[in-house]
Amino acid sequence: MSDGSERVASSRGSAFERWLAQLPDALRPRERERRGTGQMRLVETIVLLLAGLLMAIATVNDVVLDTHVNHRLNADLRTWRAYTGHDYKNVGVEQDVLHYTTTDVVCGNTTPGPPKQRTQICLQMTGPIVHSHRAARGGWYLPPKAEDLHRYRYGCFGAPKAEGKCS
Amino acid sequence: MNVAASGQFPLARTRSTQWAAPLATVCGLLLVAATAEIVIDAAVGHSILIPKQPPIAGWLSGIGERLGYRVFLIALLAFTAGYAGLIALGRSVSKRFAIALLAALHALIFVGPILLSTDVFSYIAYARMGVQHGLNPYVHGPLSIAHDPVYHYVGQDWKKVATAYGPIYTLISYPFGLLGVTGALWGMKLLAVLASAGTLALTWRCARVRGRDPVSATLLVGANPLYVVYGLGGAHNDLIMLLLMMGAVALTFAGRDAPASAAVVAGALVKATVAALLPFMLLARRSLAQVWGALATLVLGALFAYAVFGADGVNVVAALNRDAAFVSTDSFPNELAHLVGKPGVFPVDHDLLKVALVVIIVHLLWRTWRGYDWVAASGWALLAISVTSTWLLAWYILWPLPLAVIARDRRLLIATLAVQGLFVVHQLTPLLVPVG
Repeated sequence: MSDGSERVASSRGSAFERWLAQLPDALRPRERERRGTGQMRLVETIVLLLAGLLMAIATVNDVVLDTHVNHRLNADLRTWRAYTGHDYKNVGVEQDVLHYTTTDVVCGNTTPGPPKQRTQICLQMTGPIVHSHRAARGGWYLPPKAEDLHRYRYGCFGAPKAEGKCS
Repeated sequence: MNVAASGQFPLARTRSTQWAAPLATVCGLLLVAATAEIVIDAAVGHSILIPKQPPIAGWLSGIGERLGYRVFLIALLAFTAGYAGLIALGRSVSKRFAIALLAALHALIFVGPILLSTDVFSYIAYARMGVQHGLNPYVHGPLSIAHDPVYHYVGQDWKKVATAYGPIYTLISYPFGLLGVTGALWGMKLLAVLASAGTLALTWRCARVRGRDPVSATLLVGANPLYVVYGLGGAHNDLIMLLLMMGAVALTFAGRDAPASAAVVAGALVKATVAALLPFMLLARRSLAQVWGALATLVLGALFAYAVFGADGVNVVAALNRDAAFVSTDSFPNELAHLVGKPGVFPVDHDLLKVALVVIIVHLLWRTWRGYDWVAASGWALLAISVTSTWLLAWYILWPLPLAVIARDRRLLIATLAVQGLFVVHQLTPLLVPVG
């Protein structure tokens, strides 16, 4: 059975095919690849290998970056729980992944309830991870159901107070 | 020397053949066990990996535990290891075993909940917009039916977005809009399983025509971890596109050029990506019947889309341009941007990627003109589209797979599996450092 690599017989005698036949050999279509030196295949394979290597490095780099981010995230959560004395699961962390600083803001309820449904306390974490925790340089409060936007913040304390992070 | 050659090596070969069947059984069981673990745990719900959905697999929910990243990733790795084993054993796998394995995987996925994606709820929302609410899904997003029961399940990112799928797919989905959300969900799951079965049957047929082992080729596609867990698990319409793509290849192999090109255009009217096959088919066959088949289907499809959906139903380019601007965390351009110290992909990067894709396609077209296998060239084009896209999802790297297993260039299969492998590696962070 044919596998469709060959052209259909009916079109072989067409004007189009006759025109194609008049093209120089370097431009003429072929039914099968000519057995050459394999130079084209070699170049393609090298390009493919280089592209594959680059993609592999980029993937591993991304996994390592994400691993560091998760490591920091765990330290932030532990610090928030230790500082507030609440062992809540639904605590939100906003990491500054845009500017690659290590400053994160961790917000969670001050009393038990669904996420963001109670008055929230936000802590600003900075610096390296020491004994699985990070330094909380201060923070602020948010009313229930409010996002962490400047206009909703109140009761700033520590470094954020000096930086004017509350309205 | 001759004695050794005639005595020892055949003995070793006999031993390896003796071990091959039990090893293949173990690999197959690993695939089934990993799938069962994911499905049973997913049925419990309340997992970040499982979209909100009607309780269609409630009868399974008492068996497992809530699916977490750790269990999911271990199951995915086990599945991948079993798949690699099956590939390595290749021709030792019997036809009966392969069919039974594929049937078991499909059945397990079918009875379970929707996995890892909310897309199927967008399909149902667009269908309900058309048949229940009289709204054009090419103009409005699901937000316009916020009171409809399906709205609750549509992904947050897609609530305002009009459909990007082709008019044929939208029309196929319309009858499901009459069935209620649960009925539509079962319908979509059944459609995905049938499309997958059709794709695998056509892969089998095409592999035989090309002189490849049909069992190995079909297993390479149907037992692929991303195909089963992400593609089938999410009931993605990519499976319908793949069915039409493989239909076009099978028809070309049978010398039926007009229906073959018509099938590609029909596939593109389901999901536009498959249109990438058409220029390679045309260059390889240079048949007038192909041109007429493609044109006739395109004109009929466009007229039909215009009549039902208006000008917006025909303007697929606008939808593609919109989607091309999206960026997913798993896309390779995004990973490369991180590698060079950038926070993500910028508009100029989109332009560079488009240029790179054009260069690759032009090279492949020239190679096809000069006799390179058009099936392989089409597969490379689909792989290049997914790799250069800033919006990469697991089921996008399935597109070249059925072509790769029948292509004359084995590099395509290696490259496709390597890209899939990198995708799996990129998912592993929660396994290395879980957040708690």
